Amino acid sequence: STHLDSTTVSLTSAAEARQQWTHYETITRDLSLSLTEQLRLILAPTLATKMRGDYRTGKRLNIKRIIPYIASQYKRDKIWMRRSVPSKRSYQILLAVDDSKSMLESGSSSLAFETLVMISKSLSMLEVGEICVVGFGEKVKVAHDFETPFSSDAGPKIFQNFGFDQSRTDVTRLVRESIALFRTARQKASSSPTDLWQLQLIISDGVCDSSEHDSIRRLLRTAIEERIMMVFVIVDDVRNKKKGESVLDLKEAKFVKDEILFGSGGC
Amino acid sequence: MADSDELSTRQGQVQVYFTTNSIDIELPEGKRQLLVPTDVRRYGLSQILNSESMLDTPAPIPFDFLINGTFLRTTLDEYLTANGLSSETTLNLQYVRSLIPPLYEASF
Ligand SMILES: [Mg+2]
Repeated sequence: STHLDSTTVSLTSAAEARQQWTHYETITRDLSLSLTEQLRLILAPTLATKMRGDYRTGKRLNIKRIIPYIASQYKRDKIWMRRSVPSKRSYQILLAVDDSKSMLESGSSSLAFETLVMISKSLSMLEVGEICVVGFGEKVKVAHDFETPFSSDAGPKIFQNFGFDQSRTDVTRLVRESIALFRTARQKASSSPTDLWQLQLIISDGVCDSSEHDSIRRLLRTAIEERIMMVFVIVDDVRNKKKGESVLDLKEAKFVKDEILFGSGGC
Repeated sequence: MADSDELSTRQGQVQVYFTTNSIDIELPEGKRQLLVPTDVRRYGLSQILNSESMLDTPAPIPFDFLINGTFLRTTLDEYLTANGLSSETTLNLQYVRSLIPPLYEASF
């Protein structure tokens, strides 16, 4: 995967980005299709748009009930249909991809791109609602906002925002700014706030400062209160790693009052 | 949210990978990669290597550390800054038994 890593660093032209997106689309096509089928069940429709049922009052007449209605001397009067079956999805999903340098070093950048392409394709095939993509590291960069439809040229444009060259991995900042993005998006949403579900997927190599844990935990509580669900997905190219090099094996050494403490490191 | 608070208490970490040419003091494969605070110097790294969880030496061995062929004489943080690197980089630390005589500090 080394040659992929080196091309992701110098993303310049739109043509190059398009070529890359097509490449990742091709290699993840099968996975993307099966993910779509799984998500179809997990991300259930939330918006009721289909008419159904036999009601005394409603929005539209059920033509099939008209003749029995007349024949029954207007007694069988449940001739109306209402919008009652949820058939449309109305999610706001934020995909946050780690754009920090460590992604290149750990060989996770191409895996992150594969993941991003696979998930965003599945979500748009499913017509899940609104999709936003951000890159994070030192700063949070919006590569695709909630309001822009996820059309065929959206992907390559997103790629142009990534260089995997940010010199920090500030997860606290990402979570804080994501909450703000979600707040704005909820206000602008066309569907009613109760039908709206907000979900964030953070795609990262999981290498972040353990001193951030407390501030992240505090922000996560805020997110839960605002009905935002956050999922941290760790991409780890274990196929090309030796024993002990996976982020799951990563340990940290800390000095606490002149004593060395060992614990598990990373996010 | 206390931003300034978060910043001031934030202690940097960096990933290091320990290597050596001396087979007798080689770390097992699973222990070579480690997150360490960026404010450590040679002495702190030497302590970490000697600790129970790492080499578990019966008597501490003073170590020196080479990064890209030069001895580490500063904190890791200072090394990163001086070389235009960030804490996103994994530092390759080659450790050798220290040959430097103890520093003369003061006499009483
Ligand atoms: Mg990073």
